[in-house]
Amino acid sequence: MYRKRQEWCGCVDRSKATIVTQDAKLDATPQIMDRKLIGDLEQLLGTRAVLSQAADLQLYEYDGSVEQAKPDCIVFPKTTQEVSEIARLAGKYGVPLVGRGAGTGLSGGAIARHGGIVVVFSRMNRILDIDYENQRAVVQPGVVNLDLTCAVEHAGLYFAPDPSSQKACTIGGNVAENSGGPHTLAYGVTTNHVTGLELVLPDGDIVRIGGKTFDAPGYDLTGLMVGSEGTLAIVTEITVRLSRKPEAVKTLLAIFETVEDATQTVVEITARAITPAACEMFDALTLRAIEAFVHAGFPLDSAAVLLIEVEGLREAVEAQEAEVTEACRLHRAREVRKARDAAERDLLWKGRKNAFGAIGRLAPNAYVQDGVIPRTKLPETLRYVDKVSQKYGLRISNVFHAGDGNLHPIILFDQRVPGQFEKVVGAAKEIMKFCVDVGGTLSGEHGIGMEKNELMPLLFSDDDLELMKRVRDAFNPSGRLNPGKILPIGKGCGEVRILRTPALTATPA
Amino acid sequence: MSTAATWVLPRLEKLLGSSRVRSDATTLADYEVDGKKPAAVLYPGSVEEVAAAIGFAAAEKLAVIPTGGRSKLRIGAPPSRYDLAIDLTQLNRVVAYDAGDLTVGVQPGVRFGELSRVLGEQKQIVPLSTAFSNVATIGGIVATNAVSPLRYAYGSARDFVLGIEIVTGDGVIAKSGGSVVKNVTGYDLHKLLIGSHGTLGVITRINFKTFPWPAAQQTFIATFADIEGALAYSRAIRQSPLEPRLVELLDGQASRLADLTAALDSRVVDSQRQHLPKEGWAAVVSVAGKSSVVERHAKDLAMFAEQAHAATFSVVDETVSGELLSNVREFVSRALKTYSGATVVRVNALPSAIRLLVTRLKDVSRRNAIVSACVIRAGGVIYYVLLPEDNAASRLAQAAKELMEAALGEKGSERPMIEWCPAGLKEKVNVWGPASEDLLLMIRVKKIFDPHGIMSPGRFAAGI
Repeated sequence: MYRKRQEWCGCVDRSKATIVTQDAKLDATPQIMDRKLIGDLEQLLGTRAVLSQAADLQLYEYDGSVEQAKPDCIVFPKTTQEVSEIARLAGKYGVPLVGRGAGTGLSGGAIARHGGIVVVFSRMNRILDIDYENQRAVVQPGVVNLDLTCAVEHAGLYFAPDPSSQKACTIGGNVAENSGGPHTLAYGVTTNHVTGLELVLPDGDIVRIGGKTFDAPGYDLTGLMVGSEGTLAIVTEITVRLSRKPEAVKTLLAIFETVEDATQTVVEITARAITPAACEMFDALTLRAIEAFVHAGFPLDSAAVLLIEVEGLREAVEAQEAEVTEACRLHRAREVRKARDAAERDLLWKGRKNAFGAIGRLAPNAYVQDGVIPRTKLPETLRYVDKVSQKYGLRISNVFHAGDGNLHPIILFDQRVPGQFEKVVGAAKEIMKFCVDVGGTLSGEHGIGMEKNELMPLLFSDDDLELMKRVRDAFNPSGRLNPGKILPIGKGCGEVRILRTPALTATPA
Repeated sequence: MSTAATWVLPRLEKLLGSSRVRSDATTLADYEVDGKKPAAVLYPGSVEEVAAAIGFAAAEKLAVIPTGGRSKLRIGAPPSRYDLAIDLTQLNRVVAYDAGDLTVGVQPGVRFGELSRVLGEQKQIVPLSTAFSNVATIGGIVATNAVSPLRYAYGSARDFVLGIEIVTGDGVIAKSGGSVVKNVTGYDLHKLLIGSHGTLGVITRINFKTFPWPAAQQTFIATFADIEGALAYSRAIRQSPLEPRLVELLDGQASRLADLTAALDSRVVDSQRQHLPKEGWAAVVSVAGKSSVVERHAKDLAMFAEQAHAATFSVVDETVSGELLSNVREFVSRALKTYSGATVVRVNALPSAIRLLVTRLKDVSRRNAIVSACVIRAGGVIYYVLLPEDNAASRLAQAAKELMEAALGEKGSERPMIEWCPAGLKEKVNVWGPASEDLLLMIRVKKIFDPHGIMSPGRFAAGI
């Protein structure tokens, strides 16, 4: 179940990675949780809201990523005030503080890398206010993403960010990771839907930023907080914008004989500025896995399919559907199927949203990647991924948000085969490096966390990272908020981390 | 700084070359901000030169104000110090344009018109057409977070700025974000720069998402006897599946300032040619897309107008719609041109708060006997403009104060600011309004980006 592996370092120019953060200090002196702190927490929250037994803690060692670390204690606050008191206690005892929603994250954001207190928001899961007229909702961080949509859809509204884990993931987690999903192509990621936040700062102070309207004068602190992965403050209340459900939706499945044709179609659709609501691609390996799982009628003999959704005004949707179909045909689509009704559409999307689980059945282990490239580079990038697959002798499945160039190559392997996991790391690294080299980025929606923080120098200069670090330190001066995330720790190649091999439980976007 | 000028100038000339430094009186007058003039104006030609200039200023503790088209330099509190202007109009290149990926990277000094021309060749836009669009630079538009009418459909800069490179107040070149449309790598520091009014650093590059320029467009004007009608109309649009590019509501005075009459006269569909009543409101709606899409909008908008008891509903003739939309967009600049004392209060408001808020604001101007004009932009940004005749100047400060109080006191209205006013008024009224509870966090941000306090000091809230 567990194995050791070397830190990713071959791809990082170590001469650049000179930033030594306070994380390193924390790392050097592992925290040993004071029994007295546990007692104080129990007094504050009640004994049932504090877990510190080894068996209980084990459940919180993981999230949806390949990472693992043991927390010292788990707390379940019910109010902002309690979170504030917890922060004060963490400060008093000098232990790390890590927020956690549903633990579906894919980059280790909710893992207590250096131990400490994990604040679980499952009891702060109330929708505090729904303002239908102004299309706003105020929620606690533990509200499950899909539950908010369920609460407002009777009024024709919904919460637009739709990560694949939306049945489980929380809005607090979405805010921390700035989560995406298939429909972010048209509607933007979480940050585009958050107008205001209530924060608990590391010293326990409670501050409100933003509001119910967008773009108030002043620095956009809300924009800074969303996606900061719990390293700047703990979010205890979120004001979000609700979107209006479209009048018409059409879902198309375009079937191709080659991956090249499918990717060229995406280039064409983007260049024609058709802007579908979603444009997802699956390759043959993925298709077969999904079809065996959901029986949605995905063609087993094709090389790739595009799942394209257009939505909006009825007349606009009709026009877009015609344009999309034309673009597909131009690039030799064998067939362009249309979902006839909601049931057919749901089945196709079920295939997409369960893709990672389905792929998990193909091999003992799977490691999900998350990179972004300019959409014009899609064909050459997929050719490169194929080359990497051949070079390392690893099967790589591709199922991803093609419309916004957000790749999710999934590397299949068997950790029991000696040396294979090292190959996986090598392959993943090469793919990431390629993404950056063609003008892309390290993560489109899964976050940096403790998975890619050492890769940050691929994209950012020392000066860039130093500024980010200074901002982090301004909000989180003691470094106790979610230490060891986002920024490189800057340790040598010799660092050995204990990692769990990729689990099959991941349900990424 | 005047005494420092003598020794600073030669050093700046040595640093940047003499052609990049000016200190003649005429030039300095052009860069005046709220009565203060710089000792020199710098025209850096590269990011490195910006960094060198800021690094020098930081070492010598010289206060710097970055400028572009200089159309919005009057926004903000008066600078507490002002030694150097850094004019960025030499950094005027579109650095990277990947039309196929719908992304573009530009230097800050690119004029908005020039950017639009380049993007127009590929039938694309960056939806930031705002007032002063003939002179405004893209850097200035982003640094002031200027509100485009197109915000209704496309959101604001925070929704489509993908990454920014800056020179911080200690002269360091740093960037965040990237140039791809989806990215969660590192802190979104670029969001802080949007609307930072030159107080955090100098923006040296901005990457945008671009959008397709729609094939066909159509503009409609509906007029209403009162604000209730106009708001009922905009509410019907908001709650419908329609996807207009912009919805602007203008009161009678604003309609006159934006010169809507010509458009109203050009082609009135229901044949009852009728000028806008003095107390009435006009709603300008623009739609775009395939002809079937435009037709659907025309049909539904006419229906919504009728249900909201519109006095008239007109399809604007294509020959005048461009000019009309430009006039609406330029409403603030037109007001400032016509009235030297024009004072513009900007308030963010939730749709449900607008009616009461506008009523309160109108009460203030009536009480102080100052003519006013009001535009409700993009569904929730209210521009309330006092248009004082010369003899009303003495009442202006009181009226402005009362407008801020009225806006602050209303539920669902947030963070009013006096965006424009005569310089003298700024001594009497805090243009940023009272401090909000997040101000302490903003001060922390300021100290990180500008540790020596040289970037546009004093211009932002609470002396930042």
